Amino acid sequence: MSSFDELPPRCFQGVIPAAIATVSRDGTPNITYLSQLFRLENGRAALSCQFFNKTKQNVFENPYATVELWDPVSFDAYRLELRYLHSETAGPLFDQMAMRIQAIASHTGMKGVFRLISADVYEVLACEKREGFLEPAGELGPPEPLDDQLPRTELRGLQLVTQRTCRAQTLDDLLTTLLESLKDAFGFRHSMVLMPDESGERLFTVASRGYGDEGVGAEIAIGDGLLGTVASRKQLLCISSIEGELRYGRAVRASVQATRTRRELTPEIPLPGLPDAQSQLAIPLVAGERLVGVLAVESRSALEFDEWHEAFLQIVGNQAAVAIENVLLRERSEGDDAPESHAVPIPEDDAPPSRIPRRFRFFRNDDCVFVDDEYLIRNVPGRILWKLLREHLETGRTEFSNRELRLDAALGLPAIRDNLESRLVLLRKRLEQKCPELRLFSTARGHFHFEARCPLRLEEAGG
Amino acid sequence: MPIPLPEALTEFVEGGMSILVGTRDAALRPEASRGVGASVSPDRSRLTVYLNVAVADRTLANIDENGEIAVTFSRVVDHRTFQVKGKVLGVRRSGKKDRGIQEQWLAAFVEQLYLAGLPRSISRRLRFWPSVAVEFEIHDVFAQTPGPGAGRKLEVAG
Repeated sequence: MSSFDELPPRCFQGVIPAAIATVSRDGTPNITYLSQLFRLENGRAALSCQFFNKTKQNVFENPYATVELWDPVSFDAYRLELRYLHSETAGPLFDQMAMRIQAIASHTGMKGVFRLISADVYEVLACEKREGFLEPAGELGPPEPLDDQLPRTELRGLQLVTQRTCRAQTLDDLLTTLLESLKDAFGFRHSMVLMPDESGERLFTVASRGYGDEGVGAEIAIGDGLLGTVASRKQLLCISSIEGELRYGRAVRASVQATRTRRELTPEIPLPGLPDAQSQLAIPLVAGERLVGVLAVESRSALEFDEWHEAFLQIVGNQAAVAIENVLLRERSEGDDAPESHAVPIPEDDAPPSRIPRRFRFFRNDDCVFVDDEYLIRNVPGRILWKLLREHLETGRTEFSNRELRLDAALGLPAIRDNLESRLVLLRKRLEQKCPELRLFSTARGHFHFEARCPLRLEEAGG
Repeated sequence: MPIPLPEALTEFVEGGMSILVGTRDAALRPEASRGVGASVSPDRSRLTVYLNVAVADRTLANIDENGEIAVTFSRVVDHRTFQVKGKVLGVRRSGKKDRGIQEQWLAAFVEQLYLAGLPRSISRRLRFWPSVAVEFEIHDVFAQTPGPGAGRKLEVAG
């Protein structure tokens, strides 16, 4: 029995679907794939039940089941004898399994169609390795051993992340430092932070690393997809073999379409990030009860994030959430005083100002700003940019404060707990990418400098 | 009553699918194992599934005891799946011709797994020899692609 507890965690990540055999009361065997097998404590295992199928019917009649499970790294096979105990339709186990399924379901446009009916709990009666399932490794050599140095390395990494993020003065600094430290300390090269928008219904990408220019500004509705699900449930989610699970979801979708079920399927949400991501880990950043954001890490390896990473990244997530809250509090409390002098010097720009004018158009109906016919930014940060551009053009002003933006009702910032700082970070990054002639940077906490190093043409469209 | 395998499924069965074999003992305890190759008889009324003898003890004892068998074929890349249930007619040691079928199966299966992200260096180690050939007649065919239609009996015409 002890061997079940000792199976590598990767066997339970659904990379290679497990097989389950059951027998009906009249003695007819049935064999099918399992979408997911969870390992529980006390020699128990749980299966997810999304549809009332033959397996479920059989274990009601005859509780015995045999599962064959594969290790996705070594491909070793394990045989488990199970006995069905009971089904749970509420509680922590159910929630954990449901969240995973909901994420896959909403990702494949099947919210509500593809959902967890119950978490079925089994007692593990026996567990053995199938000797002779594979040929000896031969000249290929044994599979790479897992790095048993991980915990120590990762604690050092945690120290690095904490030290660096504590020093950050502004939200912008903090987010950049956080993603950089995750790469330096743990090798996570593809990461992003999303924060809620003014409505609290959507997340937008405020910082990203490893996705080129395109990551920042991307949005996803809270409750949708993997990241949106993590935000709505405020629970960490680690999906290995994303392709495998999405493929499973799509197979269900195809079969739902084929059987023309009662409801229309919503369009599939494209996965933000790496087109060929194999695993994704999304951590809710929660301070107190409040969702501050979501930290997402992706990898092209199906087994990048094992259980240790999850527990560990939860700690990183908690640290990050607290650090974000602190830096925002500081930026807000000190922003009320007018700066005596620039706490942060204005960066020198050696390049002479451009003589080529840039044309900005604000589409009031769509609430968005285009620069030379290219989409730049919309909603609150779009309105902020428009205000800055107009004042800069009309009065030549270059120094602004967060406080005056907060007081400007036309910008539509929420009265309580606004997200101005994260919106300014997004605006600065979009300008850097799409219109580097406009320079926006923080000069002191709560104060920033804005200037145009090119002639400006402003137009308003749509009333 | 034996029925023939739908013609459209013949190619599927012989095309490098993931094959699972389910059987049971006298006490109605199930056994799960992997098939390592399969073929369809010319009149499509019988299937042969191959088992790696090193891991087939329980399955073969069950077949000897009652002959009940369920075999699931699944395409790794899109989870298209169906299950065939029937009664075993006979078990024999595989010969040279069988080995050829199994080698073809493994080559195709390795490619399927590769598309799903499993390195060929690992999947090629799947042992398929020495094997036994289990021949059975088909009693039922079920759609098993995950979803609400899973478990539906396929209509089999002639």
